Amino acid sequence: MSEPNASSETRAGGGLRRRRRRPRRAAVTGDGFEGRGALHRHLRLVAVQLRLRVLAALEYRTGFWSGGVLSLVWSIAGTVPLVVALEHRADIAGWTPWALCMLVGCHMIITGLFGALVQPSLYAAMDDIRTGALDYLLLRPVDALVSCLVADFEPWCLVEAVAGVGLLIVGMVGSGVHPSLPQLLTMALVLGCGVMALYALAVLALSLAFAALELQNLAYLMEAMLDFARWPISVFRGPLRALFTFVVPFAIMTSYPPMALLGRLDASAAVGALVTAVVLAGLARATWQRALRGYTSASS
Amino acid sequence: MGEVPAIRLDRLGKRFRVSQREPGLRAALRALFVRTHVEIDAVCELSFEVPQGQRVGLLGPNGAGKTTTLKMLAGLLHPTSGRAQVLGHEPARRSHELLRSIALVMGQKRQLSWDLPALDTYELNRVVFDVERSVHQLRLTELVELLELGEVVRKPVRTLSLGERMKCELVAALLHGPRVLFLDEPTIGMDVAMQLALRDFVREHNRRTGATVVLTSHYMEDVAALCERILVIDGGRLRFDGSIEALVRRTRPLRRVSVRADALPTDDELRALGQVVEREPPRMALDVAPERVPEAVARLLALPGSHDLAVADAPLEEVMRELFAMRAPEDEAGAEPSSRGSDA
Repeated sequence: MSEPNASSETRAGGGLRRRRRRPRRAAVTGDGFEGRGALHRHLRLVAVQLRLRVLAALEYRTGFWSGGVLSLVWSIAGTVPLVVALEHRADIAGWTPWALCMLVGCHMIITGLFGALVQPSLYAAMDDIRTGALDYLLLRPVDALVSCLVADFEPWCLVEAVAGVGLLIVGMVGSGVHPSLPQLLTMALVLGCGVMALYALAVLALSLAFAALELQNLAYLMEAMLDFARWPISVFRGPLRALFTFVVPFAIMTSYPPMALLGRLDASAAVGALVTAVVLAGLARATWQRALRGYTSASS
Repeated sequence: MGEVPAIRLDRLGKRFRVSQREPGLRAALRALFVRTHVEIDAVCELSFEVPQGQRVGLLGPNGAGKTTTLKMLAGLLHPTSGRAQVLGHEPARRSHELLRSIALVMGQKRQLSWDLPALDTYELNRVVFDVERSVHQLRLTELVELLELGEVVRKPVRTLSLGERMKCELVAALLHGPRVLFLDEPTIGMDVAMQLALRDFVREHNRRTGATVVLTSHYMEDVAALCERILVIDGGRLRFDGSIEALVRRTRPLRRVSVRADALPTDDELRALGQVVEREPPRMALDVAPERVPEAVARLLALPGSHDLAVADAPLEEVMRELFAMRAPEDEAGAEPSSRGSDA
């Protein structure tokens, strides 16, 4: 207790010494990464927080195992709409069954990540805002948004994401595609953009919760809307296609990755995906910071 | 150049905009479409300075603005006017350097994970606050020993009593070695023994580490026992700044002299000495001006069968009640309407 404060940013930054040092901002305007080693500390925060949530899930045996069973059922159920549709048609909007298999795989990756990481944290953080429990998250010397986005975790939902990876590989094998390295990199880029866009939408919903405290329904709405992402973007026409490409970019999340692997995604679409994701992320960050300034910290 | 004060407030203010409606279904339905808002000044032009290492108590009735002030000092709320500085930093900017130097413990909220042992949350805090493992372990051992927690930190938090949980919360708040400690009603709901243990701990922590302590509590004994200086806030404004003794002298300058005797004099016989405030034979008590205390003591000691004579300040609870009942001069002058806000 009597020792000096362990302000060990330099220690934490040890692993990043080879990187070029960025000049420290003269004034820190609000919440955000600060100083050397911040990235390392945040990554460790994510790891420890996820570990804690797994430990908390293990405290309740029945809940833990039932979560596992439900996840398996959910993974299988995710493929049913595809199977049913293909029983009646040879292809859907130009997508062959194996190409659709890849798309459904990407959809399951996205919904698995959403169910495991995004949705539980969204619920927990919204509840924290409503009850004032967010106070303790804001008192941590880390980016409050990162704290909120790892507030909770449903490990079993990752089963769906893993099943999605399997389905994506099955689809690739079935299609007989042998993607080149640029195609693989493009696929990883657009899938990453899709995840970034998903998080950005979640942050926008979370930011709204500061003003309108009871907004858990928005998280349900996001989950329901993700169902649109199980169909190729070419199914949609006109305004719906624009909506699902640029505003709620399901196309980037699920259609673009298999298109990249199949060699059907041109460079302009990939750049468009990147721009859309970056713009959404920037908008989400700005909205979050503005919302945080209006936090009223319910109750004493 | 002198030492940077732990806390410096300069005309700090916080205004909340809150919705209001009448009770009942009709009003609730109307409020769905048209909502009335009022602006409430929870804190008004608050100015004071706290040097490092001092123990300060914030006193005030419910809704006085104590918690709002603490939350602004901790960077949770943004002030609407004025300026706050904690260890030279502006709290609203939430710089990581400041957040590493402060801690806030709230008696009615918890940071410990409900389903896990407190040790797991401590490990999370170690990572978040970037405390070296050996330093963390040293502090943990010392705190667990001081608070007599033993194996309690290994049990799931949901199984702990309120007192045990609050002790564990204190450990969580202190593991990173904060230089300023904000305590908001830390003893609320606790039994007397646990309150005493927490008070002893906070005093000892302050002595050992030199950390500044700012405390709010509804229990006057907490503040009287812990704080060398008190700040009384009412209606968001500072009403008093000084020692408890000075507050008592200012608000209730009369001393209370009590005695037991076989025969008690009448009120009229004592009128020249002071005012009788209690008479339950064989005991009586009267409030006496300080300069007349020797005379009153001599008179009461001379009573037949006189014993148990005591001279004391008025009870703190009574002093506070009287202080809050007095209207602030600016309120009386009507310079600003009374605008007491909620603590949240």
